[in-house]
Amino acid sequence: MNNSTNDMSEKLVKYLDGELAGAEKEDIERQLAADPALQEELETLKLAREAVRSYGLQKQVAGIHRQMMNEAQAPVRNIGSTRRIIRYSMSIAAGIFIIFLGITTYNYLTISANKLFNDNYRPYELPTNRDMTNLAISPVEKAYREKNYAEVIRLAGINDSLPVKENFLLAMSYLELKDDSKAITNFKKVIIANESEATNVRKEEAEYYLSLTYLRSKDYDHALELMNKIQDNPNHLYHEKITGNLVTKIKRLR
Amino acid sequence: MEAVRTIPDMELVANLRSGSRMEESVKAIYRNYFDGLCWYVMNNSGSRQDAEDIFQEVVVSFIELVQKDKFRGESSIKTFLFSLNRHTWLNELKRRGRALAREEKFEKGQPGTEMDVSHLIAGREAKEQVMQLVSQLGENCQKILIMFYYDNLSIKEMLESLNYENEQVVRNKKYKCLKQLELMITQNPALKEQLKNLLHE
Repeated sequence: MNNSTNDMSEKLVKYLDGELAGAEKEDIERQLAADPALQEELETLKLAREAVRSYGLQKQVAGIHRQMMNEAQAPVRNIGSTRRIIRYSMSIAAGIFIIFLGITTYNYLTISANKLFNDNYRPYELPTNRDMTNLAISPVEKAYREKNYAEVIRLAGINDSLPVKENFLLAMSYLELKDDSKAITNFKKVIIANESEATNVRKEEAEYYLSLTYLRSKDYDHALELMNKIQDNPNHLYHEKITGNLVTKIKRLR
Repeated sequence: MEAVRTIPDMELVANLRSGSRMEESVKAIYRNYFDGLCWYVMNNSGSRQDAEDIFQEVVVSFIELVQKDKFRGESSIKTFLFSLNRHTWLNELKRRGRALAREEKFEKGQPGTEMDVSHLIAGREAKEQVMQLVSQLGENCQKILIMFYYDNLSIKEMLESLNYENEQVVRNKKYKCLKQLELMITQNPALKEQLKNLLHE
């Protein structure tokens, strides 16, 4: 692309962003009126901008969705009944306090990497609302959907050029079968492949599940390093999953 | 426990249209309508997971419709969401090849709304393609473009949370990222057509 084309493209983007005024704006509008190729470029830039907006919206709603579904799965607290419970519990406050103290002490003493892992781990599920009729499902994906993790590992072993998506499923399968060391190796492969290609294919998923794998293998420093990274990024797919409470408990385990 | 304020329909729509207090408004949609709508999917061959996925799609479609000024409060949000939810799920069933014959005949009433809704949902595959398309950009590019075009942050505000030397560097980076995306669209004429249908409706 030569300099004058570059200059024109930059002006076009400024025009798209509403940053041109006066003579500059009139000038580009004149050129647009006379040049169909320029009009087409502007049209495509608009599509790119709208695609970003649509992507941003879908990502934001997906984040809130996960948060709200977690909230929905938490025990429902009814204000009216809560008040009644409080009133009732006042009469046996001493008893409840002793039980509470006992449970708290028990929890404190029994926090373990495995328990924390089990409390936070939910198996990764492939999206169910894709166009299953038109998209070919690979054998690895099919085996994973059927929870046949040993088959995923077998199939992955005979594929020399495993796509990143399937490498992630392989890592998940090792995680499911409690082979943490191989799960870690494969989650790392997914992250590295994404970083070298500047892509984001199951990268955030890999980061989250890798942090949990580190937790189960009692490698708390690596687990915390990844969890802090996820916590610091509000746009991360699993941002809401890494709670302050979880991080505090892991720090206590160190 | 988080204090939850009830947001009236009109205010909710105004927030979604302007993009202000988006998170609070989307959460309000979930709190107000999810429980009431998920039963439809679950009573028509769907699982709880299906109901959740469909509702997520419905929320995105609803916000897009509001922002395109295609929902102006002719019906209540509840009625409109119900209609979107039903159409989205029936479409999904058809895609899975096991449409329910008894559901083929839609409920009476609101013909205008039904048309708009069907039209929007026809672009679902294109939406998935949008996700795939933008995902192919590097993380930095995604972040920069979202900050500028979705979060509507100024270059100055972006500089505060990005690791770049000055505003000009951010501006240049933003330009290059947008051009990269434009090139990806130009190189795929079929996708470009789908995007036109989806995004310019």
